[in-house]
Amino acid sequence: MIDLKKIIPQKTVGSWIITILMYLLAITWLYPYIWMVMASLKPTPEIYHTDLFSGTLTMENYQFLFDSAEKINRPFLKSLFNSFFITLTVTVSVVITSAFIGYAMAKIDFRGRAQVNDFILFQMVVPAMVLMIPLFVLIKQLGLINTYSAMILPVMMSGWGIFMMAQAFKGTPNDYIDAAKLDRASLRQIVFNLMVPLNKAIVAIVALFTFTGTWDNFMWPLIVMSDVEKMPLSVLLATFSKQYGTDVGPVMAGSVLQALPLVLLFIIFRKYFLQGMSLSLK
Amino acid sequence: MKIGNINIVEIKESQIGAALAISFLLFNVIFWAYPFLWLVILSVTEWRFFDVPTFSGLKNFFAVLYDPEFWRSLWNVIRFLGYYVPIVLACSLGFAFGLQHIGRGKVFIALSFLVAHISSGVAYSLVFEKIFSSTGPLNTFLADWFGFTIPWLSSPNMAMLSISLVVTWKFVGYYGLILYSGLVAIPQEIYDAAKLDNTKLLTKLFKVTLPMINAQLVMVLVFAITVAFGIFTEPYMITGGGPMESTNMPLLVIYETAFNRLQPSRAALMAIIIAVVSYLVIKIMRKLLEKNVELV
Repeated sequence: MIDLKKIIPQKTVGSWIITILMYLLAITWLYPYIWMVMASLKPTPEIYHTDLFSGTLTMENYQFLFDSAEKINRPFLKSLFNSFFITLTVTVSVVITSAFIGYAMAKIDFRGRAQVNDFILFQMVVPAMVLMIPLFVLIKQLGLINTYSAMILPVMMSGWGIFMMAQAFKGTPNDYIDAAKLDRASLRQIVFNLMVPLNKAIVAIVALFTFTGTWDNFMWPLIVMSDVEKMPLSVLLATFSKQYGTDVGPVMAGSVLQALPLVLLFIIFRKYFLQGMSLSLK
Repeated sequence: MKIGNINIVEIKESQIGAALAISFLLFNVIFWAYPFLWLVILSVTEWRFFDVPTFSGLKNFFAVLYDPEFWRSLWNVIRFLGYYVPIVLACSLGFAFGLQHIGRGKVFIALSFLVAHISSGVAYSLVFEKIFSSTGPLNTFLADWFGFTIPWLSSPNMAMLSISLVVTWKFVGYYGLILYSGLVAIPQEIYDAAKLDNTKLLTKLFKVTLPMINAQLVMVLVFAITVAFGIFTEPYMITGGGPMESTNMPLLVIYETAFNRLQPSRAALMAIIIAVVSYLVIKIMRKLLEKNVELV
């Protein structure tokens, strides 16, 4: 390894200017978030006409969202619940199925394993948008339009998740598994009590990226869900904004609700996010 | 006896393994292979969601071929790339170089950029729609300081630039860190050699630094092209494809065609064509730009 500190002069004027410039840029990049939060706390008429940190601060926009279920048939609280329900179900399902099938792909020798592996790799190359419309046809034939199942069933298993877990599980020494088998550990015990704890990082990565991807998914629920009672927040917010776009305050309050869970997850689990994007900050 | 025992255990285990794999395959028969079959059927039939598909041969293909909206959306992809690639490459490179020279707070700065990447599409699209609006904070700032405003979203020429600025905002942190990981891997000896030769700064950039991070640059370009063909949320939320279809991207046209014009067969065919074109564009780009850099 090269010691960066020796190469780059740390305290020249140039490096100070660059550091200050980067801080300014970082704040510029955060500006949309800051503006969103501040706008959500101001009465709509003041948003465009006051400076960022001045003006009346109030919770009335959030109050509006919570009352909106009866007033304008836009149940924001319910949709927040829907988003959490759908996202958590998908995440739990993907993590569990990926762990078991990933274990099979990595550590169990069975006929056809190589072919299944090829299929997973091929599947990851085909872009999802190609299958969007025929998948809609399937969901329609199953009579699942306007149900939670439409948003959960098609994504309950993930080739990517299996691939990631299998890659990581391959690195776990077989001795551990053999020892567990001698103790008559069941498959469930091997996966949950041995493989998952030993490969915490990869399990976290699969869980986090599945969670953010599902929470953020917009086009698919837009297609299969027109019932406001079962809409995820992303779609409800979009339809609300199309109709009441001039109510900037409530729209921004809704955006805060939509953005906040992912931002919090990112701040708490930043280490795993960075690892998952195969980046490091050395 | 003992050998027999082990055999039984192993047979049982391989069966479990096969059963797990079969559960995955069954899932994919329903949610992947069956839709795939429908995709093939749709592309050569006439169907309007309710009736029985009737075979129509190449009719869909010609309908798509003569659909000006479809061609417009492909042209818009090129326009998007024209704005997006130079802007995002310059920003990410600047970000990566800047990060290299920061003494303190590297993590804070990187995370400030990355938090844009882990964000909800609908939420930030709404925020940018407001920030870019004709009376929004950006125009107020410009009017106060420079005495003019810019029609960010209402002019057909500006709207695509605004969309690419939003997407740039989202991806600079990610792309920048990819480039950064390439930069820190360049051996210092190479720069020392360049210094001995009195190489000028720009020459150094184009003859040393950029070729050395060729792999990372190509990776970023692959991502950028994928994004260009696949964006939906941003144009749908911010401009709705307008003004005058100037930001009508392929996925918007596919969505429109399937669910507003009720032509799912044509939309399915469009999706196939878009996927093939994006695959080819990436392939050509790699062929032209990818170099195997070796240190001798």
